[in-house]
Amino acid sequence: MVDASDFPILSRKVNGKRLVYLDNAATTQKPQTVIDAMNQYYTNSNANVHRAVHTLAGEATDGYEACRTSLKSWFNAERVVMTSGTTEAINLVAHGWGRANLREGDAVVLTEMEHHSDIVPWQMLSKERGVELRYVPVLDDMTLDMEAYEASLPGAKLVCVVHTSNVLGVRNPVEHIIEQAHAAGARVLLDAAQGAPHTRIDVTKLEVDFLAVSAHKMLGPTGIGCLTVKEDAFAEMAPFMGGGDMIDQVTVEGSTYQDNEHKFEAGTPRIAEAIGWKAAMDYLEGVDLDAEHHRLLNIARWTANALRELGCTVYGRHDDLDSAVVSFLHPDLHAEDMAHLLDAQGFAVRTGHHCAQPLLHRLGISSTVRASFYLYNTMEEAEGLVEALTTVLERFGGSA
Amino acid sequence: MISEALLEVIQELAEIEDRMERFEFIFDLADEVLELPVDDWTETNRVKGCQSQAHLEVRIENGHVHLRGGADARLVQGLMGLLALGMHDQPLEVAQAMTVDHIKEAGVLNSLTPSRSNGVRTMFDMVTTKLEAMSDGE
Repeated sequence: MVDASDFPILSRKVNGKRLVYLDNAATTQKPQTVIDAMNQYYTNSNANVHRAVHTLAGEATDGYEACRTSLKSWFNAERVVMTSGTTEAINLVAHGWGRANLREGDAVVLTEMEHHSDIVPWQMLSKERGVELRYVPVLDDMTLDMEAYEASLPGAKLVCVVHTSNVLGVRNPVEHIIEQAHAAGARVLLDAAQGAPHTRIDVTKLEVDFLAVSAHKMLGPTGIGCLTVKEDAFAEMAPFMGGGDMIDQVTVEGSTYQDNEHKFEAGTPRIAEAIGWKAAMDYLEGVDLDAEHHRLLNIARWTANALRELGCTVYGRHDDLDSAVVSFLHPDLHAEDMAHLLDAQGFAVRTGHHCAQPLLHRLGISSTVRASFYLYNTMEEAEGLVEALTTVLERFGGSA
Repeated sequence: MISEALLEVIQELAEIEDRMERFEFIFDLADEVLELPVDDWTETNRVKGCQSQAHLEVRIENGHVHLRGGADARLVQGLMGLLALGMHDQPLEVAQAMTVDHIKEAGVLNSLTPSRSNGVRTMFDMVTTKLEAMSDGE
């Protein structure tokens, strides 16, 4: 595991107790190197990127583009468009690729497991263009119905699927999904907001057309993410946001656009955030993600079993490739009450529908408590969570 | 001037330092609000923005405010109880003297901004807006 002292926030107290941060599927904490890199940029190099010739502009441009270079290397990607996060990356596919390539009667395949950010943009496009949306159901074992998936492919132009569920931690069989989609002539968009922080994803090896990622879920700052795009899919995209930085020439008669990723990055980009994200990628380069995946999965499995012994229902299966997310409910205490009472003891967990209402509807529930583990979390913290929950249930379990 | 019952509870809460004890105290206030049976939970009386199911009915009878409520989360139900102590069966001017700061004094919520998913601020705003509209109509 990483050194928790690299993360200054983890030494603070919450409600008089040591903070145990278990809301990593929502956002991760930042190492000092990320904070320093952003601080250094604003202190010494702040300038706009790409055009000015002065020294500061050169430093800012180098810093911003170094992030793209680092991401291309990390994901082995041909094209990396910087966005505000996974949500904007998916919207970029919907508007930049979807509007240019989808017509009335074309089908887009989604799943019941998607985050709202991979549902709502497609519903909007469907309303605008008459595109048919097909949803792959989730089975009782909380995996995708792969037979239904294959049946949904004829006539589909695009498959949008979450790499790893933010509620269940279930890692979908994306290799098979991509292979089947391509065989049927459909492109594939992977929502890797939850998958990318836990495993190295090689988009060239996967042959995935689009991959959407958020920096803040992998130690980077909020407000930045990216979309990796395969070269041939990139050629099919048209810009949907116009403005400065994305143009080649502008006259009163019309405009021409840049050929590269800048075409999709209108306006001043998130320079400090890109520099912070680069620092986060550098930090992750020093982490053995495979070893960490196994360590965290063991913690999640132990936690899930301990919670079951306390009478909780745990949603998820924690298979070898799944991420360290434990969603649960207890019959005697509402999820929201439980989260407040855990917070009173210093434990930061998530509660609610986790922006995945269709999935929760499928599971027959409206919310869960979710503990999600990341690089700085320990087995001792998981034991502390179970102990705190035991106290909560002893004291409040009968009163709900 | 706020109701005496609310004042007493706020004074009691001020003496509780342990956060878990505060929750215990607030949970116990759940009984202070007249129950709105689940069958009467409608879209009109739903508290929007709550993670839990929460419904609150507010009426004015003979110049006095009447509240009934229900929620599946104990904390929200308890905070409804706090609201009831400040408003239920009180003259309109006493009920309207209660502010969101009195809920803050319960000391169990980290944030009472409208965008927070606990919906408690929404619940408070819903009641005060209705009271305002009703008093304007009188």
